[in-house]
Amino acid sequence: MTPRMEKTNRILRGSSLSNDPKPFSVFAGCLLALQLSGAAAQEADDAKMRAPDISKWQCEYCAFEEGWYTDLTLGIGSVSDDSYKFGEYNGLQEQGAFAIVDGTARYRGDEAAYIDITMSDLGLDSRSLLVEGGRQGSYDLQLSYDEIPHYISDSASTPYLGSGGDSLSLPAGWVAAGGTGSMTALDASLHDVDLETRRKRLGVGLSITTESPWSYKLDLRRDDKQGSKLGGGAIAFSTAQLVEPVDYVTDEIDASVSYTRHGLQAKLAYYVSTFSNANDSLRWENAYTPPPAAPGALEGQLALPPDNEFQQLTLSAAYEIDNRNHLSADLSVGHMKQDEKLMQTTLNPALLVPLPADSADAEVDTTNTRLKFISRPTDRLRFSLAYQYDDRDNQTPQLLYDWVTTDAFVGGQRANLPYSFTRTVVKLEADYDYGAGASLGLGYDTDKHERTFLEAKKTDEDTLWGTIRLRNFGNLFVDLKVAMSQRDVASYDLVAAVDPPQNSLMRKYNMADRDRNSLSVFANYMPDANYSFGLSLDYARDDYDNSSIGLAESTDASVNLDLTSMLSEETTLTVYVGRQTIRSIQNGSEAFATPDWSAQNNDTFELAGFGLTHVLIESGITIGLDLSVSRSVGRVELDTGSPFPDLSTSLQSLKLHADYRFDENLLLRAAYWHEEYDSSDWALEGVDPDTVSNLLATGQQTPSYDNDVVKLSMSFKF
Amino acid sequence: MYKNKPTRLLVLSLGLYLGVSGALPAQEINVNVDATLQPGTYTEEGADTCIKCHDEDDEYPVFDIFKTKHGQKGDKHSPFAGLQCEACHGPGIAGPDAMAEVIEKGGHTGRVRSGQERPPIIAYGPKSHVPVEKQNAMCTNCHRGKTHVNWEGSTHQYSGVACASCHKVHAARDPVLETRTQPPVCYTCHVKQRLEFAKPSAHPVRFGQLGCSDCHQPHGGLGEKLLVRPTLNQTCYTCHADKRGPLLWEHAPVSEDCSLCHNAHGSIHPALLKKRAPLLCQQCHSQNGHPSVANSGSGLPGGTPSALLLGRGCVNCHVQVHGSNHPSGVKLMR
Repeated sequence: MTPRMEKTNRILRGSSLSNDPKPFSVFAGCLLALQLSGAAAQEADDAKMRAPDISKWQCEYCAFEEGWYTDLTLGIGSVSDDSYKFGEYNGLQEQGAFAIVDGTARYRGDEAAYIDITMSDLGLDSRSLLVEGGRQGSYDLQLSYDEIPHYISDSASTPYLGSGGDSLSLPAGWVAAGGTGSMTALDASLHDVDLETRRKRLGVGLSITTESPWSYKLDLRRDDKQGSKLGGGAIAFSTAQLVEPVDYVTDEIDASVSYTRHGLQAKLAYYVSTFSNANDSLRWENAYTPPPAAPGALEGQLALPPDNEFQQLTLSAAYEIDNRNHLSADLSVGHMKQDEKLMQTTLNPALLVPLPADSADAEVDTTNTRLKFISRPTDRLRFSLAYQYDDRDNQTPQLLYDWVTTDAFVGGQRANLPYSFTRTVVKLEADYDYGAGASLGLGYDTDKHERTFLEAKKTDEDTLWGTIRLRNFGNLFVDLKVAMSQRDVASYDLVAAVDPPQNSLMRKYNMADRDRNSLSVFANYMPDANYSFGLSLDYARDDYDNSSIGLAESTDASVNLDLTSMLSEETTLTVYVGRQTIRSIQNGSEAFATPDWSAQNNDTFELAGFGLTHVLIESGITIGLDLSVSRSVGRVELDTGSPFPDLSTSLQSLKLHADYRFDENLLLRAAYWHEEYDSSDWALEGVDPDTVSNLLATGQQTPSYDNDVVKLSMSFKF
Repeated sequence: MYKNKPTRLLVLSLGLYLGVSGALPAQEINVNVDATLQPGTYTEEGADTCIKCHDEDDEYPVFDIFKTKHGQKGDKHSPFAGLQCEACHGPGIAGPDAMAEVIEKGGHTGRVRSGQERPPIIAYGPKSHVPVEKQNAMCTNCHRGKTHVNWEGSTHQYSGVACASCHKVHAARDPVLETRTQPPVCYTCHVKQRLEFAKPSAHPVRFGQLGCSDCHQPHGGLGEKLLVRPTLNQTCYTCHADKRGPLLWEHAPVSEDCSLCHNAHGSIHPALLKKRAPLLCQQCHSQNGHPSVANSGSGLPGGTPSALLLGRGCVNCHVQVHGSNHPSGVKLMR
């Protein structure tokens, strides 16, 4: 309804009939005149706004669907070699054949009934299935199943029995010793152990749309993660790498109700997440001879992640004050809780000390608020004001705990420190549109942090930034942003409860004075519909001028170029190349005084890729090629002692495929994938289980592989 | 004249009729049509007019829309239950500013002499000359509320990103709505992230297991950087709830901000760490004794192998680096 229609309506509703003919006749005359003149203008408006008679729109040529449409791909593939790194997340970690089962199916029925099914990699450990259906526009049901494997390491070994469970024991005949080099039974006891986890996620969802402004949504998800990961356990001054069990279940409920009408949108959402761990703790036998001062230190027990719960209520709203002013707000209040029974302080009966409470009774209240006001006072000028408040209020009781360090020595009393954080951010921004697609932006942000039980109670960061934006400027699209920030810390004091204390000259980098300067540029040039060139430059530099000890400086610079081109109707080409360098300098003091050593970290990563697809139209064959090369170099340099070799990785991947289309419904695909990976890591190389006297290591090696995958599949449409 | 009752009645009825007819729209139209109705002149036959040129063999493939939710005639919210192609592309003949002679000739859908340019219609995509705000207004006519509550004022909207920059409405399966095909769409602008996910330790985005929208809500998230939850930590906890606690002995940077130690996209160091132990830890730990020792290459297997440097460095003993709920976990070793 146009404003004019509404006005006419109001006039009509306001009219009243009277018995007095004169006022009535005048009134009627006025009404008629108004209507006629209004109607003329109205008709002109109506001609522009009147909906056409859509009942005549038959849509005879529209290809509406009815029934089932299925696209199924079946085939077989083969992997040339075992490699956890190659199959890290894709399920191709094992040599041998695998089934290819992929597909989509959709059903379209009467009155908007529908089903959509998507299946991927059903023959692999990375399978997923999504089924969605219902009556479009009324209700939708969703069912999802997804598996995410993570193959961590296939080169680890351990002498411990029971790996994967919560209790690790040493084999009969184990010879404990002061150092790994003297553990005579070690070699014979070592056996391979694979470190891997598998997530299985099941989701069910329902959403309801009504004729009213209200709509409803409910999502339930269960994430079941099983497997093992690398952990460790120290007793006295020696440690062992241990296999830690992973048997986690995370359940989530996401329920929301939304209200949507022109001018006002709101959503109230309730989120619950509960985490449960089938294992409370990990126990292990001490592989070393206990030190003379701690003869009872024969086993250790560490606490595994405890069951916990989080609930959060969120209200979001967006309000159009008028067509030039907009207000949006989000408010979330949440509560985290963890109340598991505490373990005993030690397994060493000689050192057992009492607990002050049965559980930590750990609770945290969270509050997160965002408010944003956007205004466009003129057609060219726009500004926005945003306020953000995040509070983590730790309500966990603070108690004095007697504790035992590594089941070997009584540690004295310590109070737990329930950290709370508050962050307040205010952002002011103005943009001016010069026309012809160019605009200039200017902004100022303040970011305040408050922390408890930490060195700096308050930190304050101010940022001034500017942007230049070009949109469809010629054929150019540019985003350029420059920002300068300065963070000041009013006072930095050592935390008395931390014993032994930190070096008083050290500044923790999240609570230190800092100057940050950054530049980012994104440019895209499209001379015509067939070519697109992209350039992306990012540079940021942090200086911690008042940190004598700790992080002193860091820079992060990257440049990326890409080209996408339709060389012809049959041929598409993609090329990309990028490089990132991350550098940092930090200082330390062995003498626990002024800085006496310095370390520099330089990480470089380079990536290049090339992709080509070509259609041989006459023969119905499409061929594709994807080549990707990447390498990384990590350099650690200390100004003292011997140098480090480089940390490095290199990856070359070539994928080829050829599709032959028999007809509209039948396609044959042959694919070949060759990938080589090599890496070098000084933290692992040459580190056998007995290389380090006080570290019983798993002897993991740096991964490398040279793998081939061949796939042959048929796609059927029916 | 008005003293006559029947005449009075007639005049009144006429007045009422004109008034009311002026108030009512031309015919009863549904909510969806009303929402997308734009000033202009619509075609006589709707989609059948458009399909005469934009058929299955057209160089701009549009027919796959019938495989999508937009092409569902049974759902009154769907364009094809209402104004069909013109629901999104606007009046098929001409917009409100068109000259009368253009409308006379049939506008965009009329006959065009060879060599003459066809009058335009609202088009979408990077080469469209329709302002982004106008393009997006057509979409947000219907796509409002629910997951789009925070769209207005969000980073993408504020920066002038068009809905059509990311979404392909005429494709049978919109690439940006599927996990495997979503990241390349985002990489069109977020080029640096393609490089980050290619690093040796990364979230499994390049393996097709996670999409960008598993952590980010591009239509306006509750958190910074368009994150799905109000803070970075809360976003990480949706999958890594084992780190949430709260715990008895917390490791402060863990409770404050996961990105103090990790790069969520990718890193050359294990476990997505920005730097590896011991140097990462020594940025904040400087106590007298082993925490402040300069661990050089002398600690490698060829020299005096050191547990502070090799394996997992500090984490060989301080295993509970994310915090501990063990009463003796003060130093994160239990």
